[in-house]
Amino acid sequence: MSIIYVLIPIAILLVCLALAMFFWAVKSGQFEDLERKGSDILFDDDKPEQQDSKKDGDER
Amino acid sequence: MICYHCHQEVTEPGRFVVTVLGEARQMCCPGCQAVAEAIVANGLVDYYKFRTEPANKADPLADEALAKLSLYDEPELQEEFVANRGAEKQIQLSIDGISCSACAWLIEKKLNKIQGVRQISVNAAARRAVVTWQDEVLSLSDILRAIERLGYHAQPFKAEQQESAFKQTNFAYLKRMGLAGLLGMQVMMIAIPLYLDVFGNLDADTKWYLHWVSLILSTPVVLYSGAGFYSSAWRALRAGSMNMDVPITAAVWSLYVASVQATLSGQGEIYFESVCMFIFLLLIGRYLEHRSRFKAAQISANMAKYVPLTATLLDNDEPRNCLAKSVKVGQLLLVRPGETIPVDGKILSGQGYVDESMLTGEFEPVLKQSGMDVFGGTLNQSGALKIEVTRPLADALVSQILRLQDEALASKPAISQLTDRIASHFVAVVLLISALTYGYWHYVGSADAFWIMVSVLVATCPCALGLATPSALTCAMAKLNREGILLKRADLLEALNKVTTVAFDKTGTLTEGKFSMVRMVNLSQRADDEVLGLVAGIESHSEHPIARAFDDFSPAKVDEVSVQPGFGLTARSAGKEYKLGSASHIGGQLTDSVQGCNVFLGDEDGLIAAFELTDKVRSDAKAVLDALSPRALALISGDSQENVARIGTKLGIASQYAQCAPKQKLDVIQTMQAQGKKVMMVGDGINDSPVMAGADISLAVGGATDLARNAADIILINDKLIALPALFDMAKRTERKIIQNIGWALGYNVTVLPLAVAGYLTPWMGAIGMSLSSILVVANSVRLLRKAQAKVPQEAVA
Repeated sequence: MSIIYVLIPIAILLVCLALAMFFWAVKSGQFEDLERKGSDILFDDDKPEQQDSKKDGDER
Repeated sequence: MICYHCHQEVTEPGRFVVTVLGEARQMCCPGCQAVAEAIVANGLVDYYKFRTEPANKADPLADEALAKLSLYDEPELQEEFVANRGAEKQIQLSIDGISCSACAWLIEKKLNKIQGVRQISVNAAARRAVVTWQDEVLSLSDILRAIERLGYHAQPFKAEQQESAFKQTNFAYLKRMGLAGLLGMQVMMIAIPLYLDVFGNLDADTKWYLHWVSLILSTPVVLYSGAGFYSSAWRALRAGSMNMDVPITAAVWSLYVASVQATLSGQGEIYFESVCMFIFLLLIGRYLEHRSRFKAAQISANMAKYVPLTATLLDNDEPRNCLAKSVKVGQLLLVRPGETIPVDGKILSGQGYVDESMLTGEFEPVLKQSGMDVFGGTLNQSGALKIEVTRPLADALVSQILRLQDEALASKPAISQLTDRIASHFVAVVLLISALTYGYWHYVGSADAFWIMVSVLVATCPCALGLATPSALTCAMAKLNREGILLKRADLLEALNKVTTVAFDKTGTLTEGKFSMVRMVNLSQRADDEVLGLVAGIESHSEHPIARAFDDFSPAKVDEVSVQPGFGLTARSAGKEYKLGSASHIGGQLTDSVQGCNVFLGDEDGLIAAFELTDKVRSDAKAVLDALSPRALALISGDSQENVARIGTKLGIASQYAQCAPKQKLDVIQTMQAQGKKVMMVGDGINDSPVMAGADISLAVGGATDLARNAADIILINDKLIALPALFDMAKRTERKIIQNIGWALGYNVTVLPLAVAGYLTPWMGAIGMSLSSILVVANSVRLLRKAQAKVPQEAVA
């Protein structure tokens, strides 16, 4: 049973880490729009014609 | 054939074609064509694959309109909207025309490609975007122009203070909930061996260790996650009243303090897991309620666009762009066709049709000639106007209406909540009984006096009572949300059951808000189709809303079209001259057969055909109104007596109020309220916004202006009135659920109280009973999410 004297503090540390990450995610607004981000996966990001992505920046 | 981009009718097939996804697609206009080309050229065709709604029809972009965007680079305007972050700037934009996630994706992708844009995130639900850009590389107008080229309209937007407060609270709730959830799970995990210790196989050291870990883990939950409850309880107590948060606070702290004491002394039971779960469950309910309110507030607040931003100043007859708020009384302005009139003024020269629908709600444009007053925020549809400013922007009519609405909103009486009233009495009784119990057991010298008191507090903890109303309201709101009805406050559901009178605005609410042809009288030998084609051909050159009634017919070729504002059009087709418009425009005698018609077609030989055009009543209006009985109905409109009477009689609405200005509409409602009636107002225009703010409950229908949405308590997202009976039905079911829940919770508490007072109940039994009771209440509420058996007439759904 003495193993719990090591495992539980480790578990607490991991939970603290998870909490820090969660707080950061909330702060950076990742929970603001829950519906839209869900459909982002449908869109293909690495299309061949998009590889020169910054090229047409001079269009303006 | 429909336009591939906006799904509207294509009138000239083959004229505007773009190759999208490997096929030639027909477009309806150069605007849609330009936007589709831009989308394809940027490799963003995924938009067409995944969109769920057609795009808005794109207006062809005049270079002038694009040039005007550079006005947004003025520091004077930017200081109001733009946040500086070193070399980077950040702005929030409200974007018109976003209909689904694909739009948001499209805008993000396109802007991300522009050099100098650091970050963009588009919120599709709120129709907003936040852009961060490098000021040296890029200017704000470039960003706006890029969005404009995709067929959307972007405007700088400043969130109101209330909204940014909402956002902060939203973050706080999320953090509190996350913390309570994560730590609560750990405490629960540790609690399991402790529960199993009932069989007595834990040695004292391990037990002591587990107690201490639980204490460390649950302390942040009690101190941080529960903080909102304590401050609310404190506020209530200081104001000399009770609310649900008072017993919640008492239960949390007595459990926590007792458990801490048990940990320190090494004797007795700990209840850390109960504390954590208690706080977590309560937070979920509060967060859900807050979120639906936040969503509704966001959607309704994009109203900045009605306050004009720019103007064209005439400086010694030289036109010069400037900011609308810097315009002073007496200055001369030029308003070109298609532009928004920036401030209130008087026309010095020029004439044209002005669309005042944002003020009056009436979609028919008004002919304005020199000497007449025009109002800021209204749209000049035809003809250049030269106006003299009579009132600066701050005092303009649109600003006044906004203020009137704010005042009405501020004076709105709060709806008292049933549970809060019950709870405040109940809480006082529970606290008193706990104190008496402790006193009695202490007096008879029992060592367990403190634990018996805690049992009483835990067992009677109004947890289930606290959940009774919020859980039912939250489930009902979620269900309504899914059906396209947004409620700004949960307590409206209780208030809905008290509504005695439903008042409707006419145009756009009960009617479609556009002209359509109800009758055609053909006096010539020609076929009906031929006549209609001719009319459609001529009307295609007109901007008047009446002309849109003929859009469905294939137009014949006409030329030499000239417009006589206020009268009609003259055109030439196949060598003959035709006149189309009002009776006086055609001239000649009218026969009885054309009685009631308002548009006429004639040539040199006389009348050819006559048409009756009206604003058609919505197909579902009658069925909806029938379903609303026995509530009284009223019609309050800014339209003429004649039109209001016609619609009112047709729909069987007895009380009718015609020609009401925004202020008078408010008066009508207030008179009704003074007679003790609870009034619900259904409207859509800016002119409705004061009356909507003043009504007990107000509802904005689908096509409503953002300003009306802001004033409304309830927003219908889709344009179907049929949601109205469903809403009342849901309110009724919710009320029943609340009564059931409260009945159960109170029943349980009353049964268990004597057992606890007598000392037969240990705290852990109390905690289990309380949890079961809460679960039952929540499960009962969740049944609201199931499909409603709304008693709605079938023909209305069709």
